[in-house]
Amino acid sequence: MKNPQKPLRETNKKVRPAGWQIVAVALFLFYMLLPIVSTYIFSVATRWDRTILPEGYTLEFYIRAFQTSYFIITLRNSLILSAATILVSLIVIVPTVYWVHTRLTGFKPLLDVLMILPFGIPTVVLALALVQVYNVPPLARSPILLIGAVVVYSMPFMYRPVSNAMQAIDALTLTEAGQSLGANVFQVLSKIIIPNILPGILSGSLLVFSTVFAEYTLTSLIVGAKFKTFPLLLVEYTRINGNIAAAFSVVSFTIAWLVSILILWVGTKGQNGATETIQAR
Amino acid sequence: MAYLDLKNVTKSYSGVDVVHDFNLEIDKGSLVSFLGPSGCGKTTTLRMIAGFTKLDEGTILLDGEDITAVSPNCRDIGMVFQAYALFPNMTVRRNIAFGLLMKKMPKKESEKRVAHVLEMVRLQDAAERYPHQLSGGQQQRIALARALAVQPRVLLLDEPLSALDAEVRVVLRGEIRRIQSELAITTVYVTHDQEEALSISDKVVVMNRGVIEQIGTPEEIYRTPQTHFVATFIGTANQFFGKVSGGDAVICDHFTLLADDVKDFTDGQRVVVLVRPETIHVEPDQPKHDGWNIIPGEVETITFHGAVTRLGVNLHGQRVVADITVANTKPISLNQKIWLLFPPAACQVMAVDERS
Repeated sequence: MKNPQKPLRETNKKVRPAGWQIVAVALFLFYMLLPIVSTYIFSVATRWDRTILPEGYTLEFYIRAFQTSYFIITLRNSLILSAATILVSLIVIVPTVYWVHTRLTGFKPLLDVLMILPFGIPTVVLALALVQVYNVPPLARSPILLIGAVVVYSMPFMYRPVSNAMQAIDALTLTEAGQSLGANVFQVLSKIIIPNILPGILSGSLLVFSTVFAEYTLTSLIVGAKFKTFPLLLVEYTRINGNIAAAFSVVSFTIAWLVSILILWVGTKGQNGATETIQAR
Repeated sequence: MAYLDLKNVTKSYSGVDVVHDFNLEIDKGSLVSFLGPSGCGKTTTLRMIAGFTKLDEGTILLDGEDITAVSPNCRDIGMVFQAYALFPNMTVRRNIAFGLLMKKMPKKESEKRVAHVLEMVRLQDAAERYPHQLSGGQQQRIALARALAVQPRVLLLDEPLSALDAEVRVVLRGEIRRIQSELAITTVYVTHDQEEALSISDKVVVMNRGVIEQIGTPEEIYRTPQTHFVATFIGTANQFFGKVSGGDAVICDHFTLLADDVKDFTDGQRVVVLVRPETIHVEPDQPKHDGWNIIPGEVETITFHGAVTRLGVNLHGQRVVADITVANTKPISLNQKIWLLFPPAACQVMAVDERS
């Protein structure tokens, strides 16, 4: 008699994709990559309005972009804003999600709904409301207020992955196991919970970084020229010189990718580091 | 004095008592099981001992010390969970060493301890593996080793074998008992599996609806159940409902049963007579045995169980089961008319528990 499990295994074998599947994937990739590739090409094109491909290529716009007086400052501001937002989000969200999954489970639906709100409120409304409400020095129109606003705006991007990761590990039982072995709440969090939800924390940080690094509306309305970030500079240059703006975009893409790789690398290094200490023991 | 002492422990959720006025004394070094159907309050009681659930009323004393308000991480009570609860990010070695790390034990001593408990659960080779690389049974052994490594004052096991295969369950429960006796560690074991509870415990606490039905050795629980619930929950028992008549009989619908212990009941009181299947003899011809209960019936089912064969017998419309061994019974076939025979001593008479 045939093993009843056999047919199941055969379906797991690699199957050649059908023609339409290849076409669908190719269309999707084309749709996603076309703007990026065009931006890259446009940033090195001499003239590109009369022909299908640019008439010539040059690095002139990059040189001019790097020579812009605000280039380094805006880049630094953007990095500060992103890093601070990630830090504040982690400090606020990780413990909250932990408590909601272990002790205050009744509040989870409420939190789930709250985390959709930032998507529902237009950023312009959020920014203007914040500027009005916090119109007291030292908060008024300060980078601190901006960080607060950006944390709220990007919160769902941190909350979802962290919450999903927490869901997957049965945090309550792990907590109780840790407590029965003598660990207090901080030891449980730092030695058991956080290492086990690290993939969620990393992907949340990546999403927040890419969202905040490209954030324009809140920055422009809350602090404006007082704390100029990279997107502000970029938008400013779309009015001055499209090619330089394209060069800025490329720089922005590249930095976002580099930082993503860096965060992932730090994450996997952390895990490997843990493995090495175990093996060394 | 008892080592672990639960006094008037009560816990209710939204007005309903999950555990009601629970009193129990556990001796040092003994293994006590909480046995009962799901929702009987056994896990809640265990969690109150561990400190994960707060008591509404009552006190818990451990070695004379009131631990009712002590936080779980300071109680020095180890716990093994149904879902193993090994830390997925740590190897077996680090899992076991975790409790020792919390106690700030020197590294050398900790290493020795880890090696010792790994040997105890016979998984020395698994030290560098991660939990997900182990089978369920192996994971639970590691969880046991982890709980034992810190040498807790009390070990709590919350349905530790429920998630495992039948075969692994039997082996592992033997291991748990062996290790528990070797270390003489005071242990509370929660289970809904009566065979498990009866086979490994010094004492069994049978619980139902938040109260203790009976506390006793496994043999006492099985042979002399104190309540209708215990009698029907533990093992298989035939039930005959009837009314007490005289000092030695119970009148049922179609026959009268002779029983030994009806003196505690008043004449005419409604009672239930419980008869274990293994105490019933089966005869193909009408037997003569003065002073015994002899009732005719018809064989409806024959189920072979290996050592015994279980007969389902129709007794005036009521199904009665009797266990026979092939060695001391003549061959019996389906639909055959037979006689059931059992002594008055086999009849346990008790008040009817309308809930059971």
